[in-house]
Amino acid sequence: MTFNPLEQRGIPLDRQLRNWRELNVAPIDPDHCDPYTRCRIITMNGIEVEAIMFSHHMARRSPDVEVKRQLAGTRYIEAQQQRVVNWLLPGVSSVLETTIAYEQVAVDLTAWVARMEPDPYLKQAYQFGVLEDFDHLYRYANLYEMIEHRKADAIVDGLTEVMPGRPTKYHHRNPVDNVRDPYDKDEVNPLSKLHALTITSTEQQTMNFYMNTGPTYMEPIARQLYQEIGLIEEEHVTHYESLVDPGETWWEQLVNHEYNECYLYHSFMEQESDPRIKAIWELHLNMELEHLHIACDLMRRHDGRDPESVLAPQLPDVLTFEPNKAYLRELLDTQIDLTTLGAGYVREAHERFEKMQEDIHGGEEPPSERVMTQHDEMFGREYRLSTEGEHPDPALREK
Amino acid sequence: MTELHTPQAGDDAAPDNDVVGLLMRQHGDVRNLFDEVETSEGDARQEAFRRLVRLLSVHETAKEEVVHPYVRRNVVGGDGIVEDRLAEARSAKEALSALDDMDTNDPKFLSQLLALRADVQEHARAEERYEFTHIRRSADTAGLASLAKGIKAAEAMAPTRPHPGVESAKANMALGPVAALVDRTRDAVRKAAGRD
Repeated sequence: MTFNPLEQRGIPLDRQLRNWRELNVAPIDPDHCDPYTRCRIITMNGIEVEAIMFSHHMARRSPDVEVKRQLAGTRYIEAQQQRVVNWLLPGVSSVLETTIAYEQVAVDLTAWVARMEPDPYLKQAYQFGVLEDFDHLYRYANLYEMIEHRKADAIVDGLTEVMPGRPTKYHHRNPVDNVRDPYDKDEVNPLSKLHALTITSTEQQTMNFYMNTGPTYMEPIARQLYQEIGLIEEEHVTHYESLVDPGETWWEQLVNHEYNECYLYHSFMEQESDPRIKAIWELHLNMELEHLHIACDLMRRHDGRDPESVLAPQLPDVLTFEPNKAYLRELLDTQIDLTTLGAGYVREAHERFEKMQEDIHGGEEPPSERVMTQHDEMFGREYRLSTEGEHPDPALREK
Repeated sequence: MTELHTPQAGDDAAPDNDVVGLLMRQHGDVRNLFDEVETSEGDARQEAFRRLVRLLSVHETAKEEVVHPYVRRNVVGGDGIVEDRLAEARSAKEALSALDDMDTNDPKFLSQLLALRADVQEHARAEERYEFTHIRRSADTAGLASLAKGIKAAEAMAPTRPHPGVESAKANMALGPVAALVDRTRDAVRKAAGRD
């Protein structure tokens, strides 16, 4: 890639505002779209939500009213970007359908990042997390067939396998064991900063989605499953956000956010199969280039440093949505029985883990287990989609 | 990988004591049949399409007989809610009858099927959001169960999978035109509801 966002100028900020007609985008067709188009939409929504909320938090910490005004100006455009991106999702989709697409994002995005991550400690964090999202996909897929009589394959379209990962009931850890050690901002590969920000943002959006849409269900098992998995997303946000060096200044973080948006819109523009959506990625990239430029100016002025000193010299290889089946199967084979202890990983169920398990389950099966029992009562089987043969872990093969 | 079969609503082992849950599963059955019609060819497409037409006809008739009267009687503003649903159903029915006479091998078939699918899907979600929620809110457990009984009686009229001995398109046609099916569905529902 020869594309260097620092050397490009985008659309001037005062020409980025869109009117109602331009904001009123037609949604994708849930039954005929490229599943990875939907994944890219969900990813960019998470990225834009993080951009908006980060800017709000920064503004709240800024005593300088001129800085507040500049942040407000860029943030309003980012809010419009979020409204366009997320409004590409169709009203005819159910919450559960969208949930399965969120988990497809979590699986294939996290797996890709794990494959590409150069730092071994960070790589381990993604490998650990992806096996949990993989299991969430499987539990929600079974709920989906119960409530809507539809198979998750109609959504993931054979690109992502649907079968047990690390069982959801074991994801409930003592919160202190969800805090990882941060990377060192001065030592780490700039790509690693982008990875951590991307996965934190998408997991955060998943958490927000589950904690707000879960109670819209009337079926008791659905309400309970969203509550359970929603709490695991809280753990995942803690897990991923703690990877980021807290010593990065607000200005530096702002630049990282804008740079990451350029990186992702550029990546998705390069691979988008739907020409109409590709045009949106391209437009947003051209907006982000200007947001990055503004953020760099702020950093130079207020931080007294060159943004080049914290960014990659050029854009990394495009982040890609593609099947990760072989990679996931290798992780299923080797890392399914891991848990965390302090900032590290262990195989034994240690005391703090056991205590948390005992307290949260209260001697009963959690919703993630009961959904499987209820599905079995209804259909006399479970739902799974294994396109590459039986499960790598003999204990998790279908009985 | 073995192809998993999702039994149609009423044939799974759900207790079917909740009319809303049953109808929502039936919406999924309809969507599954659209998938089947789209991905099949020749006689198989013709045959799948006949099953889709039957299911849609039965589903709509049963709702008109069972659900809409309930909503009109028991939900505040129920008449308006039902009128909106009937308007959506009408446009879907018009698209359906245009397709009903068409040869599934006709080059225009697929584009019209997709238009019908979009209408049906919007109608289904609107029902779930603006009508079914009221039913769950206003009906007691026994009420939900007795409504479900009527829907289940109708369901038996429209298997989503070919019946043994009814595999060919020709045999399916022998089940008769949609109008006759609608009449039989009404009779079955009224009988189940003890309203003969």
